[in-house]
Amino acid sequence: MSARRPQGWDAIVVGAGHNGLVCAAYLGLAGLRVLVLEKRESVGGMATTSEILPGVRVPTLAHTVGRMSAKVMRDLRLRDHGLTLIQPGVRVFAPGPGGGATVLWADASKTAVGLGKDGDAYLAADRLVRQLGTALGELMGRAPVDLGAPTLADSVRSLRSPARSSSAELLRYMPMAVRDLVGEWFASDALQAAVAARGVLLTGLAPRMPGTAGVLLADLAGNDGGLAGQSVFARGGPGAVADALASAVTAAGGEIRLGAAVAKVRRDGDQARGVALASGEEINAPIVVSNLDPRTTLLDLVDPEVLGPRLGWRAGNIRAHGVTAKVNFALSDIPAFTAAKGNVQLLQGRILVAPSMRHLDLAMRAAKYGDLAQEPLLEVTMPSLLDPDLVAPTGRGKASKVRHVMSVIAQAAPFSVNARELGDIVTATLEAYAPGIGDLVVQRQVITPRDIEGEYGASGGHPMHAEVALDQFYAWRPLHGLGRYRMPLRGLYLAGAGAHPGGGVTGLPGRLAAAAVLEDRGRKVRT
Amino acid sequence: MVEGRANRYDAIVIGGGHNGLTCASYLARAGKRVVVLEKRRILGGAAVTEEIYPGFKFSVASYVVSLLRPEIIRELDLVRHGLAVLPVDGTLTPLDDDYLWRVDDHGVTVRELRRWSKRDAEAYEEYSVLMAEMARFVKPLLGEAPGRPGASPWVGLAKRFAALPESQQTTFIQLLTMSSADFVSQWFETEPLRATLSASGIIGTFLGPRSPGSAYVLLHHYMGEVDGEYRSWGLPVGGTGAISGAIGAAARELGAEIRTDAPVARIKTRAGKATGVVLESGEEISAPVVISSADVRVTLGRLLESGTLADDDAQAVSRYKFRGSSAKVNFALAGLPTFSCLPPGTTDVYRGMVSISPSVDYIERAYDDAVDGRFSRSPYIDMGFPSAIDPSVAPPGKHVMACFVQYAPYELAEGTWDSQREALGDTVQATIAKYAPGFESLVLHRQTLTPLDIERTFGLSEGNIFQGELLLEQLFSGRPTPGAGYTTPVRGLWLCGSSTHPGGAISGAPGRNAAREVLRAWKRAS
Repeated sequence: MSARRPQGWDAIVVGAGHNGLVCAAYLGLAGLRVLVLEKRESVGGMATTSEILPGVRVPTLAHTVGRMSAKVMRDLRLRDHGLTLIQPGVRVFAPGPGGGATVLWADASKTAVGLGKDGDAYLAADRLVRQLGTALGELMGRAPVDLGAPTLADSVRSLRSPARSSSAELLRYMPMAVRDLVGEWFASDALQAAVAARGVLLTGLAPRMPGTAGVLLADLAGNDGGLAGQSVFARGGPGAVADALASAVTAAGGEIRLGAAVAKVRRDGDQARGVALASGEEINAPIVVSNLDPRTTLLDLVDPEVLGPRLGWRAGNIRAHGVTAKVNFALSDIPAFTAAKGNVQLLQGRILVAPSMRHLDLAMRAAKYGDLAQEPLLEVTMPSLLDPDLVAPTGRGKASKVRHVMSVIAQAAPFSVNARELGDIVTATLEAYAPGIGDLVVQRQVITPRDIEGEYGASGGHPMHAEVALDQFYAWRPLHGLGRYRMPLRGLYLAGAGAHPGGGVTGLPGRLAAAAVLEDRGRKVRT
Repeated sequence: MVEGRANRYDAIVIGGGHNGLTCASYLARAGKRVVVLEKRRILGGAAVTEEIYPGFKFSVASYVVSLLRPEIIRELDLVRHGLAVLPVDGTLTPLDDDYLWRVDDHGVTVRELRRWSKRDAEAYEEYSVLMAEMARFVKPLLGEAPGRPGASPWVGLAKRFAALPESQQTTFIQLLTMSSADFVSQWFETEPLRATLSASGIIGTFLGPRSPGSAYVLLHHYMGEVDGEYRSWGLPVGGTGAISGAIGAAARELGAEIRTDAPVARIKTRAGKATGVVLESGEEISAPVVISSADVRVTLGRLLESGTLADDDAQAVSRYKFRGSSAKVNFALAGLPTFSCLPPGTTDVYRGMVSISPSVDYIERAYDDAVDGRFSRSPYIDMGFPSAIDPSVAPPGKHVMACFVQYAPYELAEGTWDSQREALGDTVQATIAKYAPGFESLVLHRQTLTPLDIERTFGLSEGNIFQGELLLEQLFSGRPTPGAGYTTPVRGLWLCGSSTHPGGAISGAPGRNAAREVLRAWKRAS
């Protein structure tokens, strides 16, 4: 098809990560002719499923998709495009070293019963989180206000009521350290840690650092998970989200080209006019949307002359030191977590190795010095428990022994960590909670921050494209003045996790970037 | 009758620290009958000079001044009342076999930086200008009551923010949100420079230089000015107690009554309204307004009868974080220490500060020790030599040396401060000796103030020198509790100490702001 309109694209989306695809689908639905260019041979970016052994599939990086915006799901009719979500009743199972466990259920009152003394406090905190989540969800679902505009006060006033009425609470809670927040709520150290872990997961921050409460609240906002958060799996793995989105893009008239690495954004003066591929091929379009991280977008894709020395300096200071690694396992059986006491149902959600606040402190302390945590923070899922089709081994080799797959997010791991050393530490850490787990391992796949940078292009190997911290947040994510999706070149937009509201499989940066594109095109779009 | 009248005032100020005295001065200046009640025999609170060792006068707690508001100096005529501030020039960061030495002379500093990094030398100018701009931008906030979010000072701030050039907007956002190490690392690559600059971001706060929020504390320390020069530090002649002395003299001249050795046991209330205080002696003093310069926990937790506050208010107070993390070690010396990294005979160094801050990792690891519940094995130390600038504070030929030390957490994982006090003193002494060999032999006397000692002596909860951490949620309208400003849930009871906006250090701003708020409320009521 493209051959017939080689110069006829309205917009090019660089990168087929889930946000790039979301953006392309919205633009396609609005009538734009969209071309998505993906360097790799598959779509999805970090939302992807891969074969660890023949017929055995694992969530390569992201493993849950519960933060996916309901609005995006509806607008793009992702269910019609084949996406099926699975959600267990158990959200978090956090085993302790002594055989006890903290369990958070979808049903807060069920959780409260299990928590004993902290039960009432849990219910109160759950209510608070839902109330703040409504306000925060509102902020996250919209483009940030324009802080540079003379009408700042008006912009703030334009926020809808939930955000406005909770602004005093948000101002108090967002900048707090998550350790202090959970300390205000709960007496039990184990419960504090089980909740606080989400304030540092996928970041390089420690739980005593200001702003981590905001990370937690943002993670819990915009869905109905309350304090337990969501534990949603896509049937077929996170790659199924990408497949459904790709199908939505195609249905909306867009085209996706794989194996097409973009080297530069081309321009006429201060106006983008297309891209140049690494192959040398040039493709024209007046709109270019980058799904890449902001450092790569600004420093690699854009002509340094456009940025100038000052913006170049600022872009170089965007912090993206990834300390999150991924270890995926193919197992011969379900591991026996001591604290689960044989109840496999408990393993269906997110299994958290964060038994104490001290554990979180030490795991994330390593990040400050570029060390590997000797007892890392782990978020473990076993998607094959709910989605057995992930394990359909072919052949009679190693794969035939596999019964289950296990996906582990581990931190803190330095950029250049030795993969074997990291894998061994993760296995050894799990061994303390699930004795014998090491003997069940048929295959192990280790993905270090360096791999995340190399394979997925995320600068610094940061899974969120830019550190999730107060200074790279909201209207100043990725930089103050560039927080509203529009990059310094006219016609160039940012649609990835480096834009508000940030990382995770939400689709929101993609949707909001598309809205910015359409807004700038004014009424022309509709004709 | 005479006695009855003597004990009736328009306002009682609890605590004769510099903020209490400032507040009392402004109330007296407005014609109010005020009495200041100080627990100790001497005035000054944490801004105090004491002769701990014969002939050696220590600025026992706070030891340098820069944040004292110029309008207070002017309005209270403090120079006439004896305030004299000598400049402190420069900061030396000694290293094992080198040093980084910045002085007030910009050209000299740039030359020194060029020795380390040409790029840093160039950036230093831009950085200095930018920080001065930021201090200028924030300054009007210091003199304002913080108000509630959405209230008028915020709208004003938003307008002024929108009017800033984008580069300054960026810097302001960063100062409110970043870690001090990340902030300064944007400009500089020289490790001891990064470390020494970012160390200003950890003072009095239980944060490491890599913790977001510490950049604000850095800015807090840039807001100072001596004779209109931003970011310059000074040493009051006669020690920091001389500041309190001058403010006290002003207060007295304006008609305030000041009583020392008058510890307040309790604040009296009737029907949710303050009516006066009861001293530990049993004496009762009545006034329709009671203003406390003690911290919010002491005031609302200890001096109020329990049950006076509603549960929600009591909870808000209990959530206010102190977490003292610093110690002070004062030395009486037979001579000045010789830093082995400097050429022999270098004496200019004693006109400034010496900062033990070789690298960001060094300070961060010092912080990790505090997280682990122990004092830093290799602490950050900021030391000064008051007697080298103001010889009046030590006998001829002898010296006093002030060391601010971090970290020393109030809560220890093992043991008590009473048993670990001298171990901390030894560690500080040994750390200095690493850079100044033979230092031990100069020590005539050592006074170690742990957070527990700071709490006991000065009544600062958990030994926090700022009456509560300068955390983002405890700044502006969040200080001390959301929306409170200088008021408390008890009508007629106010706060005027560092627990209130804009926080700690010898600035006098909380005292002055509180006085203005009290006077406004009076006006409204009459």
